[in-house]
Amino acid sequence: MALPYAFRLALQSLRKDIWINLLSMLTIFAGLFIISLSFFIFYNIDAATRNLPEKFSLVIYLEDNLPREKADEVIASVRSRREVASVKYISKEDAFRELKATLKNSQYVLEGIDDNPLPDSLEVKLRRDAMGSEPVRRFAETARKIPGVSEVDYGEKFLSTLHDIRNGIRTAGILLAAIFATGITFVCYSTVKILFYRRNDEIETFKLLGATKGFVRAPFLIEGAAIGTTGGLTSLIALYLLHHVVILRMGASVSVFKTLLFPANIFLSLPLVGMFLGISGAAIALGRLKY
Amino acid sequence: MMDLDGPMIHFQNVSKEYDNQSALHDITLSVEKGEMAFLTGPSGSGKTTLLKLIYLAEMPDHGSITIAGKEAVSLGESGIPLIRRHIGVVFQDFRLLDNRNIFENVALALRIRGIGEREIKTRVADALKTVNLRHKADSYPRRLSGGEQQRVVIARAVVAEPTVLLADEPTGNLDPETAEGVMRTFKDVHAKGTTILIATHNRELFRNSGKRVFRLDAGNLRGVEVC
Repeated sequence: MALPYAFRLALQSLRKDIWINLLSMLTIFAGLFIISLSFFIFYNIDAATRNLPEKFSLVIYLEDNLPREKADEVIASVRSRREVASVKYISKEDAFRELKATLKNSQYVLEGIDDNPLPDSLEVKLRRDAMGSEPVRRFAETARKIPGVSEVDYGEKFLSTLHDIRNGIRTAGILLAAIFATGITFVCYSTVKILFYRRNDEIETFKLLGATKGFVRAPFLIEGAAIGTTGGLTSLIALYLLHHVVILRMGASVSVFKTLLFPANIFLSLPLVGMFLGISGAAIALGRLKY
Repeated sequence: MMDLDGPMIHFQNVSKEYDNQSALHDITLSVEKGEMAFLTGPSGSGKTTLLKLIYLAEMPDHGSITIAGKEAVSLGESGIPLIRRHIGVVFQDFRLLDNRNIFENVALALRIRGIGEREIKTRVADALKTVNLRHKADSYPRRLSGGEQQRVVIARAVVAEPTVLLADEPTGNLDPETAEGVMRTFKDVHAKGTTILIATHNRELFRNSGKRVFRLDAGNLRGVEVC
């Protein structure tokens, strides 16, 4: 069929049933806005917590008075592990010096301690992909079994909590996005169905004159795409205004707002997401209608 | 592709029921290629049902219908529009779209066939000229009289130069003079080789025409005669 004519029919219908279309567009806008806002929150929490694990490291304590050559063997064994990014040897003297420096304003804590009670240790940093609580726990278990190692210490609880929070937010985000995406598709589905019934006589005439299903469907698909795209575009504008007008202005008085990231590249795809959902809703409606 | 050998329309033992009420019973008839024929009978005799079976708005309960060599029942959903594009229909209830002007109503038959915009302009203008309505191209159906609306429907039916033209009571609401004009249009279209089947209860339309007339009564074919 002639595509320009399908666009013309879609435009006529958009104008003719402006209130139904406007209402659908606003519903899609609200749905996409809520999805984007949750994504915006998740994105910023994720960005804020993404680098936290790097600041933490495992500490492998070596057995007391372990000869240096034995310590080197432990270091080599740890270094050979795929998940290890770096290993730093800290002698018991260095550790004691560091402790003294840390407690320089509370020297009384060390009063009465003549001998250095600290063991030699290794500060191990893991690669980013091995930062999950489970890989870290497995690594710690393995490290404990290396001859010459007395104890392994790591922020188990911290890592586990951080991991749980990130996973929880991600799951909630995906769930929320799925619910609203389904809702948006349903809005487009219902709109197209209503518009279809309103134009039933016209469609019947089209068919009797020899119109194919494609000829009948194309304007509705275009209409669904237009409603979805407009909803997506409006939510993009609303997000931009929210970030640039509200959040950045609030940043002047509340500094944490200044640090919030606006993933513009991702949000720019909102009209496309809207279009996809609009076409999907229209396609489902047309697939279920008998004509 | 249309098979143009053999009859253009062929019914073989066709029956159709609505809610267990027989609308057509065991009809066997043929309309030859390029023939102009009439279908007559009182109201409720099955004329409209028979035409609906030809343009595939209905499917038979029994029997077979062949349009230009194509068996209707075996066509499938995608085949129906392609057959309909070879059939022009003058509907009894007009089926004009009130929200489109006369030009657009007639052009619709061509747009559905994917004809280009330039050709649409020429052909719609010619079709409207044939029915003397070129000056009404920008008017809307509700602004036209019943006779004028009837002529628009004829223009829409012939604009795509169909192989078969079906007309359901085409002069039903027209005064004798306008009815004569409509029949002249049909004769012109027929002269170009189009097969025409006109359903009417108006005997004046086929009196002394020398054309075949199929007589229907209560869903049965009572006879075929040349008037």
